[in-house]
Amino acid sequence: MKKRNQMLSDNSYSFVLTIPATLLTFVFIIIPIIQSLIMSFQKYGVKNIISGKPGTWNNFRNYTKLFESNQIPEAAYHTLWFVLFVIIFQFIIGMALALVLNKEFKGSRFFRSIMMTPWVVPTVISGLIWMWLFQPQYGFVKYLISILSFGQVTDLAILNNPNTALGGIAVAALWKQIPLTTLLLLAGLQNVPTSTLEAATIDGAGAIRKFFSIVIPYIAPVIKITISMAIIENFKQFPLFWTMTGGGPNGSTTNFAILSYREAFVSMNLGSGAAVTTMWMIMMIVVVGLYQKYFKVQDLS
Amino acid sequence: MEKKLPKIFKYVVLALIMLFLLFPIYWMLITAFKTNMEAYLYPPSMFPKAFVLDAFINLFTENNEFFVYYLNNFLVSFISAIITCMVAVFAGYSIARFKTKWSKAFVAILLSSQMFPIISRMISLYKLMSNMGIINTRAGLILAIVAAQVPFCCLLLSSFFVNIPREIEEAATVDGASRNTILFKLLTPLVTPGILAVGIYAFLMTWDDYLHAATLIQSDNLRTLSVGISLRYLGELSYDWSLINSISVVGTLPMVLVFFFFQKYMVKGLVAGAVKG
Repeated sequence: MKKRNQMLSDNSYSFVLTIPATLLTFVFIIIPIIQSLIMSFQKYGVKNIISGKPGTWNNFRNYTKLFESNQIPEAAYHTLWFVLFVIIFQFIIGMALALVLNKEFKGSRFFRSIMMTPWVVPTVISGLIWMWLFQPQYGFVKYLISILSFGQVTDLAILNNPNTALGGIAVAALWKQIPLTTLLLLAGLQNVPTSTLEAATIDGAGAIRKFFSIVIPYIAPVIKITISMAIIENFKQFPLFWTMTGGGPNGSTTNFAILSYREAFVSMNLGSGAAVTTMWMIMMIVVVGLYQKYFKVQDLS
Repeated sequence: MEKKLPKIFKYVVLALIMLFLLFPIYWMLITAFKTNMEAYLYPPSMFPKAFVLDAFINLFTENNEFFVYYLNNFLVSFISAIITCMVAVFAGYSIARFKTKWSKAFVAILLSSQMFPIISRMISLYKLMSNMGIINTRAGLILAIVAAQVPFCCLLLSSFFVNIPREIEEAATVDGASRNTILFKLLTPLVTPGILAVGIYAFLMTWDDYLHAATLIQSDNLRTLSVGISLRYLGELSYDWSLINSISVVGTLPMVLVFFFFQKYMVKGLVAGAVKG
């Protein structure tokens, strides 16, 4: 009897403790998400906000319009391209740096600490830093490329050219995100048992063999989480795009975030913006789901 | 010889990546200390010929709306961090200690709500918060931001609570301590490193916020840093690159100080949150 009372109060006490977090999550996340799903099927503009009138069903017009004008497919393409590009290079460069810093050498602790600096630079400011580096007339990158190409390329304007603008933003994103990737991979690497590595060395395994058959399987869980965090973050990237190009030139850097922001808060067509975010969330769920499934198979092998 | 080559290769890799990561910071710093004339030299000078504080003086005296944004950002980030920590202590302990049906559902809700894009929330929050009368207020902004930090922070802090042995709690119960005494007087001090990690994380994330402030705040005197910078300085003053770089320096400085001062906790917390969560 006494035990049962204890159990009951366990239940209620644990519930009471979660109330503030639950309230915040429901009021400011779950309910708004559900409401914008509903809104995506409605004609809902600035008039509705002012008058307080509910939106009216408009027969999938928000969606059909966005597909007919090719805006959703283009945003999807830019978003995926950006995510893929950033993830691949982030992993390669982050892993290379983590492997180098994993060994103790003179200054390794200093480098481990100082390499985190870009991660703490506010996103909008990292956008400014790279806009200045990429500046088309006086920028450092233009100068660097003209030297490296022996004066062949002298008119580099990365962010003003529709073919390179997305790549320019991706470089800024890489710059900001590589530190965290490195930090997490480094934490994973430090848990790889040295005894196993030594045993493999005695058995005559080379560095590359050791990396793929011992290190990678050992840190697979860390890699999985690091990459899935990066997928979500880059899928949602907004401030870098908004400050560096605003979605231009010629729509070449309009991803889901920019498109939905423009629809909802610049054109004040909230229904249409909600339709974009709905497509965006569906795609994110599909990509993350596929990633989780694919990685599980890798884990077993 | 065979052993030396990989070693050289290793240092080349290190040098190249570090250059990529640190050169932009250097470039920001030296541009801020150049005169605007010199910032516009081509080819650019690698070190300021004349080391001047013009841009900073300009920032402090003429274009000083910046400091309104700066102060707002401090207020919002600091209060958000404190509220987030409190909410995370309650919920984090609950998740770590009790395995009820609700707590399982609760964790699932937290995990999934991390995925949703901010803009999707903002589209309807805009209306909801107008109805509640908290649009265009600091309080409203703080609540919306805290809600965005809460899922990750609760999960992160629970990973610290899990590591405290149950015996400590049981001994205190036998001694007749109430549940609240156990949680707040006994256990909370034991997870101080976790609370610091959560607090710093929430501070850094709020300091970095753009979208919440861009959609929920309309008055210039309530604006926070990121939105203030991009609205005021990118349009009309974008020709003055030494000023913009001096803004970047001043805007980054608190983050760098907070991070390097608390680096130990921060790194431990992030790793714990990501690797265990």
